[in-house]
Formats: sequence, C-alpha cells, structure tokens
Amino acid sequence: MSLWVDKHRPTSLHKLDFHKEQAAHLKKLVQGGDFPHLLVYGPSGAGKKTRIMCLLREMYGSGVEKLRIEQHTFTTPSNKKIEISTISSNYHIEVNPSDVGNQDRVVIQELIKTVAQVNQLETSTQKDFKVVILTEVDRLTKDAQHALRRTMEKYMATCRLILCCNSTSKVIPAIRSRCLGVRVPAPSIEEVCQVLQNICKKESLNLPTELARRIAEKSNRNLRRAILMCEACRVQQQNFTVDQEVTEPDWELYLKETAQLIAQQQSPKRLLEVRGRLYELLTHCIPPDVIIKGLLQELISNCDGQLKTEVVQTAAYYEHRLQMGQKAIYHLEAFVAKFMAIYKRFLEEGIADLF
Amino acid sequence: MDIRNFFGAPKVIKHSKEVKKDETSSKLVKNDKGSESKSLSKLEKQVSKDREKKVTPNKQESKTESSKKTVIQIDSDEDENGNFSTKTKSREKRQSRDLFIDSDEDKTPKKASKRKKTQISSDDEESEEVIKPSSKKTKSKRKSHRVLDSDEEEDPIPQSDKKSRKKGGKKAGPIYLDESDEEKRKKSTLNAYFKTPSPQKSKPKEEVKKQDSNVKRTPVSVLDFFGGGSVKRTERPTVVSKRKLEEEEKEKDKFDDIEMHDDDDFLKTLEDLDEARPPKKARVDSPEKEKPTSKPAGTLASKLASKAKLLVEETPEKSKLKDISDPETEKKLPKKESPVKQQRFSPAKPEKILPKKPSPSASEKASTPKPDKAAYPKVSPNKTSPETPGTMERKGSMYKSYLTREGPQALGSKEIPEGGENCLEGLTFVITGILESMERDDAKHLVEKYGGKVTTSVSKKTSYMVVGRDAGESKLAKARSCGTKQIDEDGLLDLIRTRPGKKSKYELQAEESFKKEQAESLKKKDSINIKTSEHLSKFERTPSPRKQTNIKMESSQSESTMAVSQSESTLTVAKSESKVKGSDKSEESLLWVDKYKPSAMKHIIGQTGDKSNAKKLLNWLSNWHKNRAAGVKPSGKFFGKDETGAGLRAALLSGPPGIGKTTTATLVCKAAMMSLAFKEGLKVPPPALNEIILASNQDIRQVIHNLSMWSASDKTMTYEQTKKDADMAKKDLHLGPFEVCRKVFAGGQETAGMTITDKSDLFFHDYSFGPLFVQENYIHVVPYAAKGNVGKHLSQLSRAADSLCDGDLVDKCVRTGQQWGLLPTQAIYASVIPGEHMRGGMSQMIQFPQWLGKNSSTGKHDRILQELQTHMRLNLSCDKRGLNMDYLPYMRTHLTDPLIKNDADGVPDVIKLMDDYDIIKEDFDNIIEVSKWPNSIDPMSKLAPKTKAAFTRTYNKEVHMTPYATGVVMKKKRGGATATEDDMYGEEDGAPSSSDEEGEKIDLETMIKIKKKENKDAAKKKTAEKKTKAAGSKTASSKGKGRGKGKS
Repeated sequence: MSLWVDKHRPTSLHKLDFHKEQAAHLKKLVQGGDFPHLLVYGPSGAGKKTRIMCLLREMYGSGVEKLRIEQHTFTTPSNKKIEISTISSNYHIEVNPSDVGNQDRVVIQELIKTVAQVNQLETSTQKDFKVVILTEVDRLTKDAQHALRRTMEKYMATCRLILCCNSTSKVIPAIRSRCLGVRVPAPSIEEVCQVLQNICKKESLNLPTELARRIAEKSNRNLRRAILMCEACRVQQQNFTVDQEVTEPDWELYLKETAQLIAQQQSPKRLLEVRGRLYELLTHCIPPDVIIKGLLQELISNCDGQLKTEVVQTAAYYEHRLQMGQKAIYHLEAFVAKFMAIYKRFLEEGIADLF
Repeated sequence: MDIRNFFGAPKVIKHSKEVKKDETSSKLVKNDKGSESKSLSKLEKQVSKDREKKVTPNKQESKTESSKKTVIQIDSDEDENGNFSTKTKSREKRQSRDLFIDSDEDKTPKKASKRKKTQISSDDEESEEVIKPSSKKTKSKRKSHRVLDSDEEEDPIPQSDKKSRKKGGKKAGPIYLDESDEEKRKKSTLNAYFKTPSPQKSKPKEEVKKQDSNVKRTPVSVLDFFGGGSVKRTERPTVVSKRKLEEEEKEKDKFDDIEMHDDDDFLKTLEDLDEARPPKKARVDSPEKEKPTSKPAGTLASKLASKAKLLVEETPEKSKLKDISDPETEKKLPKKESPVKQQRFSPAKPEKILPKKPSPSASEKASTPKPDKAAYPKVSPNKTSPETPGTMERKGSMYKSYLTREGPQALGSKEIPEGGENCLEGLTFVITGILESMERDDAKHLVEKYGGKVTTSVSKKTSYMVVGRDAGESKLAKARSCGTKQIDEDGLLDLIRTRPGKKSKYELQAEESFKKEQAESLKKKDSINIKTSEHLSKFERTPSPRKQTNIKMESSQSESTMAVSQSESTLTVAKSESKVKGSDKSEESLLWVDKYKPSAMKHIIGQTGDKSNAKKLLNWLSNWHKNRAAGVKPSGKFFGKDETGAGLRAALLSGPPGIGKTTTATLVCKAAMMSLAFKEGLKVPPPALNEIILASNQDIRQVIHNLSMWSASDKTMTYEQTKKDADMAKKDLHLGPFEVCRKVFAGGQETAGMTITDKSDLFFHDYSFGPLFVQENYIHVVPYAAKGNVGKHLSQLSRAADSLCDGDLVDKCVRTGQQWGLLPTQAIYASVIPGEHMRGGMSQMIQFPQWLGKNSSTGKHDRILQELQTHMRLNLSCDKRGLNMDYLPYMRTHLTDPLIKNDADGVPDVIKLMDDYDIIKEDFDNIIEVSKWPNSIDPMSKLAPKTKAAFTRTYNKEVHMTPYATGVVMKKKRGGATATEDDMYGEEDGAPSSSDEEGEKIDLETMIKIKKKENKDAAKKKTAEKKTKAAGSKTASSKGKGRGKGKS
C-alpha cells in the first residue's frame, strides 16, 4: 500500500503523462544506444527523476529497477572519513554528493573514478558504459563542480553522467556546456488535473473536476504534492466531495500566518515575534528561499501598485544576498525589517495625505 | 619631590640656586630675616614645647571642644582660641609661621623673604633652606589656600556642617590678599604680625588671585609634617626608608587632595588665629566671606611667633605657605570654625614637635590637614546665593529635565587656553550640568592636565564648582551650603589662563637631591631631634608672560626629617592618619567603608609596625628584583622576626574576607612603584603614575615595564605626556561577549569618546561570537535616533539589519575563503554600523544568541531527514527537501489516521505502509517530530495509550526487513562504519521494489535481519526485529555487528 504518488509512477517513457514530445525526443536519443551527458533541470514535482528512471529503463531494461542501497566510505586528504549512501543497480549508480557537505569534491572524484574505471565485462549484451546520476548538482560546492568538469572529460569512455537539479544558475558554465540540457517544466494545471483523474480512475474513485482543479492550484503545479494532497483528501473521507477541504502542509500555513503578522502590524516587537517564527521555519528545514518567496507572495497582496514594485525589488535583493550569505536568518530578518520600514512609511504618508 | 624636600638637606642646595635665580632682592631680605627668625624661633620653640605637651593628650578633647565651640560666635572664638591655644599652640605656631612667611613672600616678596630668612637662618641649616624657597611668593599664596581648606576638613564633621555655610562664604571670597597685606605690614616681626594685623586691604584682589594661581599648592607640606612626626616615632630612618617615605608622600599627594586639604585646614586655623587680630581687614577684603574669626591676637601672636621659629626649622615650605594663607582664610572662616581648626592643628603640632609622643599615629590623624577648599581663588563670582531647597515636585521636574536635557550645543566653540603647567594644582573641581563648549570628559581631562582634581560630589574640599546648563539642583544647593565657588566654563578657562603655572611639587621634590637627603638625614639624626622638620622653600621667579612677574612658587616642601637610620627598615610611616580622617569627614556621601579606606601604608589597621606583614610585604616587593638577581634562595620563613622573604617568588595574601588583603596589596604596590620611580631618578607626577597604574589594570609588572621604557627617553614626565603614554599602553582587557554587546549599543557618556577604532576593537574581543550577540540583541535596543517614532525606529532597525547582512556576507568570505584580512571589514559591518544606527538604551538584558541553538536543531532535523530519505529512498523519487515539504506532512496523516480512526484495527494498515516504505519505528517517531508545528495539533496526542501500546507490540512482533543496515545508520550518526560492513552491503540484494517479482523470495531471505539484543548499542531503537530462521545462523556468525548476511 504505497502512496499513490509512488504506486502510480510511470516506469517507461511512453507512459509519461505530459511533456510527451520531450519523452519522444529522449526515446530517440537513447535508441542509438548512446547519449551525451545530460543535465536535467526543472522545478520540484515536475517529474525529473521519473523521467530519468524511464530513460534508464529504456536503455538497460528492467534491470535498472533492481535497486540496492550501498554505503561508501571515502578518506579525505586530511584523513577524515566520510560516508555516503548510494542507490545503485547493475547499470547505474545514483548519489547525492551534497549529502556530505563541504567534502563533496572527494565524493565526486573518488566515486566516479571507481565506477568509471571498471569496464563492463560483458560488452556484447550490455552497454559499454555505466550511468552516474548526480542529484542536487546546484548544491555542489564550486570545488566539486570543477572536479566534476575534469572527471566528465576523463571518463567519458566508460560512463555517462546525468545531472539533476532545480536550477542551472548555480551550475558553472563549464559543466552546463558539457551537458545536454533537458528542462522539465512543471505541468500545467490541466495536466495535473488530468493526472489526478487518471490516478483516481485506477483507484476506482470518482474525483470531481472542481476538486481536482483546486488541488492542482493549491499544489502550485507540483505534481507530487498534488497527488499527495489528493490522497490525503481521500483519507479524510472515503468519497470525494466537491466542497471538500484541501489540507495544505503545516509549514505553508505557518508561513502564511507569519506573513499576515508582518502585514498587520509594523513594530520592533512584532519583528521580534516574526524572528521567532522564522527560526521555527528554518529549524524545520524549510529552505530560506522558499520562505522569502512565500512571504513575498502573501505580503504583495497587501500592497498597491508602486509599493509592489518596491517590495518585490527588495525581496529580490535580499533573496540574492541570501544565496551569497551564510546565515539565512540575517537576511530574512533584514527583509522583514525593510518591508516593515517601507510599509510603515507608506502608511504614514497615506494618513498624512488624508489630512 | 616632596619627599626630597622632606629630607631637607639636599634641598638646601637647590633652594640656594633658586634663590640666586630669584631676584637679588630676595637675597637682601635674607639677612634681615635671618636675624629675626632666630629670635622668633627660640621663642616659638619654648612655647611650642609647652603647648605640645599639653596638646598631645588633649587632642581628642580638643576635637570635641571644637565641635562644641563651633556654635559659639566669632567673638567667642577668641576666648576659645585662647583656651585651645595652649593645646594647639605648637601647631598653630608652626602654621602661623609658615603662613606668615608665605604671605609675606607672596605680597611683599622681598620683605617676607627677609623675615623668613632671618628666622630660618637663626634656627638651623634647614631653616635657611626654608627661607630661600619661602622667598617665592607664589608658593606661599598657594599654600595659604590650602591652609584654609585643611582647616575645614580637619574640623569634625558636625563642626564642618555648621561651619560649612560660613566657610562657603569664606571660600567664595579669596582672603589671601588680605593676609598677604597683613603680612607685609607685619614684616618687622612675626610677632608683630600676629599681634597687630596691618590692614593692607588696599591691595587689589586681582593680584592676590594671580598670585594664588601662580602658587601651586604644595600638599606635601602636610605630609612632611606628619612624616616628621612619624619619623620621630620610628626613629629608624634609613635612606631606604626615606625613599619610601617620599614615595608614599608622593603617592599621597597624588591621591589625596585629602592631605592638601589637611594643610589647608591648618592654614585656615592659623588664619583664623591671625584673623582674630586683623579680622576687620580680612572681612573688608573679602566681604563675601562670612567668617569673622577673632583670635586673641596677643597670645596667639606670641605663640605663633614662637612656633614659627620651630616651624621654620621643622615645617616644610608648604606649611609656611599654608600659614601665610591662614590669616586670609581665617577671615573667611566663621568664628565657630576657627576654634575647631585650632584644636585640630594643635594636636598635630605636638606630634611633630614632640619627639617622644606615645601615640603619634592618633595625633597625626587628628592633625592631618585637609586640602584645598580654603584655597579657592576669588576668581569666580559666587553663585552661592542661598536658594531655598527645591520641593519634591521641583526635584521631579528637575529629574525629567535631566533625562531630556540635550548635549553640548557648541562643542569646540571656545578656544582652550594654554595654561601654566600645573596651574590648577591643589584645586578640586566639581562639574555639573552641561558645558556648552566641551564634553564633560574633556573638561575633566583639562583640569587634570593642569594638576587639578575633579570629583563627582561637592564637599568642603571642593574649590570650584563649574556650573553648566541644567546644573543639578542638589549639587548647587550643596555647593551653596559648602560655600563652594561657582564658576561657569568661561571661568574655568579663565582660571587656566590666569593662574600661573608652576612646577609640580612632586617634580620639585623629586628633583631635590636624594643624595643630600641621605647625608642630611645622617646629620640630623645626630644633631637634630627627631621632631625637627626642615623647611625647604625654593623660590623660583618665573617671569609670567601675561602678568608682570609671576613668581613660581616651587612648593616649599616641609620635610619632616625622619630619624633616618640607614638600617634596612622598610617602611617609614610618616604620614599622619589624621589626614585621612579629616578628608573623610568632608566626603559625607561615601560609604564609610570607602570613606575610611586606607590610602597609605600607615593607615592599614594593625599593619603599622615595622615588623608588620604589610611592611614586610613592601620590603619584599621592593627587593624582589634584587633578590632574584642575587639568586637568594628562599629561606622558607617569611614570618620569622627578621625574615624578609628574600628569594621567595610570589606572595600569597590569605585571610578572611574583609580583612584588607586587597587593600594591603594595592598600597604596597603603589608604594613600591613610587620607590622604584624614585630610585631610578624618574620624575613622575603622582596623578600620572596613577594613570599608568590604572591603564595597566593594576598590573605591576606592566607598570614597571612601561616606566622603564618611558624613562629611557625622558626622566621627567609630565602628566599629559604620561597620560598619553598610559593610554597607548593601556592593557587590553578581555571583555565577555555580553559586555561587548552592551558596549556596542550603549549610548551616552560611556561610548561618547570612542573612536571608530575603539568600536571596531569591541568586535575583536570575540569575532566569532560578537556578531551573533549583536544580531540577537539589536532588536531590543531603543535607538536614540528614533526619538520615539516607530517609523523611524523601524528604518533604523532595517539599516542595522542590512549592515548585519553585509557582515554575514563578509563572514562567509572570511570563513570559506580563509580571507582573514577581511575581519576589520566585518567588524565595521557586523558591529560598528549596527551600533551606530541603534545606539540607545537596551530595553532588556543582553540575550544569548538563539542562532546557536536554532542552528543546531536545524542540523538535527536535517540529519533526521537525511536518514529518512536514505531509508525511503528506494520508493521515493524526491530529495530531502521534497521529502520534508511534500511527503512528510501527508505521510504523517497516513501513518496516524488509521490509528486514530480505527484504534487497534488500524495497526496493520500502518505497519503495512511502514514496511512499504522501509520505515522502522524510530523513523515513525522521527516523522512525527519533524512534521510537528506549533500551529498544528500533534496527532499522537489523539491516540489512546492503548492503541499506542498495541501498535508498538504488534510492530515488534513482526519481522521487518529493510534494504539498509539499521546498525550502520546508527553508527553513521556516531561517525563510523567499517569496511566489512560495506562489503556486506555489496552482497546484499535488497530490492523490495514491487517491480522485482522474480527474485522476491530470495530477496526476502537476503534482507538484513536485525536482532534486538544484538542491537543494544543502538539504544535508540525501540523496535527490534526477530531473526528469521534462514538468516539466524548467518547472523550468529557476525553477531558483533548485529546484522545478517545476504545469502547470495
């Protein structure tokens, strides 16, 4: 009884529900028996991983679905032992180097080397290269990315890399240029609805289209979240109803409340309160860029025209610094303080104008 | 310097030189004086002896009497004086002599000098010396001021209170002029002076003022007196002891105005005595001063005359100066006061005079003159007009206005004049209100630069109160009651401008040859009674650029000759403790503990003996280097009778709380410093040494190092220069992050003078912690800049936050790029700028930064998510973030809903789901924890305990196969898995994915089984899994690790 989201995940390229044209391209790509390094990117919940697994299955058959978890240990130059777990089949290995933090360079160098240095024994029945899937490439350190660039060229003969990330902005150009970029956009609302309908059909349920649409909208076009929401609705009550409540994740509610607090009152005391809530979000591992985005979306609805642009620009400014900086709370708080100052000034001016 | 003077003999030479320098007129005068002085001295001696005898036992009585008598009016004073006179005669005489001499010198330099010289010459060699310095008019004037002060201080507290009003009046108007005039008139003989005060009121007050200013008060004289007394007691003076004494005296000088005050008091009393004769004149001269003290002129005069001779011999120049001033002061002083003063003086005198006094210390205490109040020049018009004390309401409003009062409006608008060196020496200032053209600190430094002292509270010692805008009502009132002169900042500047500079007494004394002293001391021992004190008065006429001729009175130092035996006796306890008492009385606002805190070695209770531990300690400290260098081996006994502790490296002061360990150590150190400076021929003004010691945070070693370094370039240090050096050498103290953070935001006085460097230095106290504290607490600050406006406050907050962000960016560069050179940049961004924007009041305590705790709990949650993701990985298509934000909220619902709705019936469903996702019970708990939010209800709280128990029981009953080695995961948290484990994984085929149907059975068998007992090391695990039979045998082989091996 896996969750729907996993239970109904397509396993081959032709079963994909959207971006079918792209799927066809990929199919053609691998039909020749070879493909270049790939850089698959797109928002979360758009189906990147699913697409990659479909691609691998297309190439190697069902053998890639026989997965195992492996634990690797590497020794850094400073004699520190680091461990990382990987998922692998006989044909591929998947790893998230950023799991080990700053030592990701070692993982990339050592792991790829060991994988790539071993040629396939049976080249007649198998491809003569293995595939290394690296996830969250955009979170790699610069060091690791440069190491990766070198490795990509060196072991081209025996392995192919598939890089997976949300955004290419943090991937160095050298890597981008060595890969075939495959962008997987988020599905449209309609596509999400369609997928939900299909799943419900397989589960022998009747999903009202309006509810499906509401779920799709609430999910922010994140298909994974949409399916999970849908199933949560199902858990709430046996049969779907049109006016059924769609539960949002707690953190999202919390974030919205926080934004409302900011909009309601601008004072040092409130800022202090908001700081506490921001800390709460951060300790729950909600990414700071998600927080600032969520805040902005809520706050912007309280602003008029000209103020909107100012606020958005402010948010962009702080989001940028957030990426450059180290301690997220500093920048989030600075954003909130800035917004409060701007908004307070705006309100005071408005009152002054009235009189 | 004073010390040297004390020793007298060496001084003589200098004085003679000075005299030469001085105008020839002084020389001429000398001869005349010499004859006169001799005759006078004889008379005085006789009288003084008689009086002394009487006085010593009666000291206490005299005090009490004085208090009583204070009530009596001026007229009665004479009678009282007469009564007391017997007791106090000796002292009075001395003082009076000094005073006369000084006054003479001041006003009529030639005549006065002649008289003095004559007296001195007749008396002794020392007396001659005294005479020469006495010729310096300026000094005498200064001393006279002191005398007045000393009188007041010495007076018992009640008396002082009563008198204070009168005194205040007196203080306001400088009486000196009158005195000087009188003295001049009296030139013929000292007796004549006393008996017949010649009204020389005609002299312009201005002159007097100038003279006063020129004359630096030499507080030393008092010390000398006392020192002499002490010497008599001990009678062991050695060269070493002399040095020590000198040092002590210097120290005292530095620290105490008290001593100064004492002198002044004496002077005042003397003056009072004098006034008795010429009261009318005095009053006329200084109408402001209410103190009419009529003393029995005839008797007193004779007494004084006789004393004067003695004094000339014994009393240091200072005393003379004081004496001179006395008549003036007397005028100022109310009648009531005068008797008191006399009484006080009287006990002191006998000590000095009488060699064999049983309890010198007590007498000394009584006699200790108090400095400056009397001495105040008339420069500033008296603001003291009595105002009725403000009502409570008024006080309240005053306080409000105090809170809201603004800072200086015209900083730097007035040019700070360059005054004569040490021109304010001996004066005590109190600054109240806002000075428009300078910060209060600047004003303080200005005063200190010129040798003055700034205190925070008004007392009788206070010479001037500098009144600014919004001055404190209570201070004004008190000043009025004390009769303190009030001046504005212009007045202060004028003071500096007009008062002639002089060499610091300390310097002078220091200069006076040490060598001579030693030689003299030897002579003195033989020839002179211990009681005799040498007066060394140096006359230096320094042409003052502004006024015709400003005569620099080098402080006439009366050095009480210690019976200096060159024996190794370490401490010469010369100082009279009476000084301390006197000064204390005036400082009513102090706690008694502070008030009576010993300021000199002698004052330490129970440690005054030669063999006392305190002295031993000083001795030991003084000889530390010598002993170390000599390689003296520790004898092991410090407390033996003659043991000095030589060779021991460190001292441990032990004792119960409150016994005075710290006090002892501090005083010993100060004494040691002074002796060290003296031995090295280094001239350091005591206040400067104080600065040095403070700057190094009482680190003696550092003080010594600094002294040696600075002395290499220049043997004589000015206060200003020393202060500068001391600032540079200021010992870096490590502040805690809380203190740093407080300082970053603190507004007002504390940070007003800080430069940007100082501020950024705060950051470097702890550059990793500091920024966190700043970030945590900047919200709590209420910035002054906001002025209560919320919008402004927010914008200030925003600016501070922006700067903190910049600091964070720099921090990242520093940490990740190892670019430590950027730290100063970070200091600016992370500490200085936020501090500037938010400078203001902290609304609550400094908080410890939350960031640390939050960051670690973020890390913990991150690890949990990582582990969850690893466990669920085979079935998930998402990464950690996706798991956290998308899966977990719904996963939690799916895991708990069946239990909530169906109770125990839902258990199988839940366990099935967990198995599908390879979740173990621990993960279940983790999921609940991670997905718990303050705004949501914890679903576990809805579960009946029974259901929970059923769930746990059922779960543990079954075998759960996982594609991962749970043991490894546990170990991973602790940081290590072994290679063998990795190998095992390689063999495992954990592929529970549904797509794998073919090898499912095999897979099942090869799944890792976990045995509960073997997993004890993984204590966190609540769920243990039974072995399957298939795997059982194999797990047994690898028991140690608690996991089975895959078959394949």
